[in-house]
Amino acid sequence: MDNTLIRMESLCRFYEMGDQTVKALDNIDLSFNRNEYVAIMGPSGSGKSTLMNIIGCLDTPSSGTYELNGQSVSGMDDDELARIRNREIGFVFQTFNLLPRLDCLRNVELPLIYAGIDAEERFDRALDALERVGLGDRVNHKPSELSGGQIQRVAIARALINNPSLILADEPTGNLDTSTSRDIMTIFSELSEAGNTIILITHEEDIAQYTRRFIRLRDGKIESDTHAPILE
Amino acid sequence: MRRFWNETYESLLMAFDQIRGNKTRSFLTALGVIIGIVSITMMGTAINGIDAGFEKSLSMLGYDVIYVQKGSWGSMGQWWRFRNRPDLKTEYADQINRIIADNPESGLEIAVPQMSSYRASVSYKDRNLQQIFAFGTSADYLRTASGDLSEGRFFLPHESESGSMVCLIGDDIATGLFPNESAIGKDIKLKNRKFRVIGVFKKQGKFLGLFSFDNQIITPLNAFRKVFGNSGYVTIRIKTKEKIKVADAREEIRGIMRRLRRLPPGKTDDFSINEQQAFKSQLDPIKNGIAIAGIFITGMSLFVGAIGIMNITFVSVKERTKEIGLRKALGARRRTILMQFLIESLSICLLGGLTGLVIAISITAAIEKILPDFPIQFSLLLIVISLIVSVLTGIVSGLAPAISASRLDPADSLRYE
Ligand SMILES: Nc1ncnc2c1ncn2[C@@H]1O[C@H](COP(=O)(O)OP(=O)(O)OP(=O)(O)O)[C@@H](O)[C@H]1O
Ligand SMILES: [Mg+2]
Repeated sequence: MDNTLIRMESLCRFYEMGDQTVKALDNIDLSFNRNEYVAIMGPSGSGKSTLMNIIGCLDTPSSGTYELNGQSVSGMDDDELARIRNREIGFVFQTFNLLPRLDCLRNVELPLIYAGIDAEERFDRALDALERVGLGDRVNHKPSELSGGQIQRVAIARALINNPSLILADEPTGNLDTSTSRDIMTIFSELSEAGNTIILITHEEDIAQYTRRFIRLRDGKIESDTHAPILE
Repeated sequence: MRRFWNETYESLLMAFDQIRGNKTRSFLTALGVIIGIVSITMMGTAINGIDAGFEKSLSMLGYDVIYVQKGSWGSMGQWWRFRNRPDLKTEYADQINRIIADNPESGLEIAVPQMSSYRASVSYKDRNLQQIFAFGTSADYLRTASGDLSEGRFFLPHESESGSMVCLIGDDIATGLFPNESAIGKDIKLKNRKFRVIGVFKKQGKFLGLFSFDNQIITPLNAFRKVFGNSGYVTIRIKTKEKIKVADAREEIRGIMRRLRRLPPGKTDDFSINEQQAFKSQLDPIKNGIAIAGIFITGMSLFVGAIGIMNITFVSVKERTKEIGLRKALGARRRTILMQFLIESLSICLLGGLTGLVIAISITAAIEKILPDFPIQFSLLLIVISLIVSVLTGIVSGLAPAISASRLDPADSLRYE
């Protein structure tokens, strides 16, 4: 079986700003295999978030091809994209993005609601996901009653719950202190070892060091794409 | 399908959560709907009540009884138009009965004379009642009238003929003159003449809240004449046969009366033929007035309410842009977001509608308690209409914001602060 999860060919994303065109992504060729653990780095404005949006099917390229699981997303409408996001992708955001009025359990089960899964199964799976990130004892807490690191772990649980093909994290440690960041990265590493594909965006080198492939962007172009030396 | 119900249920939970989280705002939003629903139900209740009271009153008059009189009910307050007409005679009743008897095709059953005074006074010992409606009639009266006796009997043909000084009284008079004892067999005074009470009518209530059937005293016609002379106001009560159209009966009566009055063709009638229908046409403008005012108030408040809800839902969409982006990122489809916001505005409107209904029902109950005679009636139909109106308001006002929310771009929304 083909091990390629994502394939991008001469992918561009332009923003029209008045009479000016911002080339947020300029002719990107990139592919990711299953079970890769990747860090995307680059200075501010280099196009990291734009790339992440396209990989996460939140946005579509202006030109070029983007295939996920061998499926091209170019022709898809909003609802098809929503379905792909729901089934294939788990998002972790820098600002956590939990719904403040829902408790952990209900935040985590949200993707399952959109997948049309029954309450009972949702409950079991959400509990399971929370246990995996070490929050089995906080299920009925609201986000306001948790620390930043705990909140981000809830968000990771939410990203995991659909067994997505891909976990996408945009600066997941951007709002966390160093030791909490380390905890979060440990979780990502464990998930990677468990077979998940993880792409994370960061501008911190030591965070990137947890991963095994480093892609550097500059001005919408790939500056470098290196793999960590294989250990052992 | 299962997904649909799951999402709907979740949307409901979220909607209530949102409403609970913004109580004041939700209440202000719902206010327009509350006012609208209160006004729509109060209007409907008033119209229902008037209708019900009216039906009850009309049934007292009798659907199949036609009243020949000097004046017309259809133009109340214009008595001067009929002032110059000759008075009716009680003898017409006998003459009409003879004509009916000679004509096997007649649609009429019987004519009964009635001569009345509406300012009589009655007394018993030291008790005294004023403004009593007194009239004399024949023994056939009961065939043309509603109302059962609670005690005693009606007078018999021979009592009627001879003008026996006996009478029947309404319930109010009975309780007014005889609070603690039976009225039967007592001698009361009507215009200083002694009458023996032989029957008491059951309580009937007021006719259109104006005229009380419980405040009347009935004597044989000849006895009435002995007391009041020939000066009373004459009504010929005519009962129609079953299944006869009122219009046909009227025409027949009109012909008979013109014959009795010897009116040449071309001359206008100098009498009026009245029946309960005349009241209906009197009442319609009142009902229409209430309906128009009610619809206007309802429409205005619902319109203002709908605009308010639309506005607030737009604000809510704006405020929750990031939430919408997140939900979309997690897999919410357009219609899911649309539903969520629609259900939210729908819930606010429904809650507003229910609140309005509760208020309206309380007001109705209060009015019923304070004014038991006031015709008022709440109906299931009104509840259904109110709820439908609330739901429609919710959909109309929620649709535009909900559509705009469903179309938000997920990437842009997530960046929104
Ligand atoms: N919605 C948009 N409309 C117009 N221009 C945009 C939009 N989104 C991004 N851009 C532009 O595209 C370029 C890349 O932006 P992007 O957000 O991908 O950068 P980034 O690498 O994530 O930066 P940072 O590290 O600050 O988050 C920037 O020049 C930005 O101004
Ligand atoms: Mg960014």
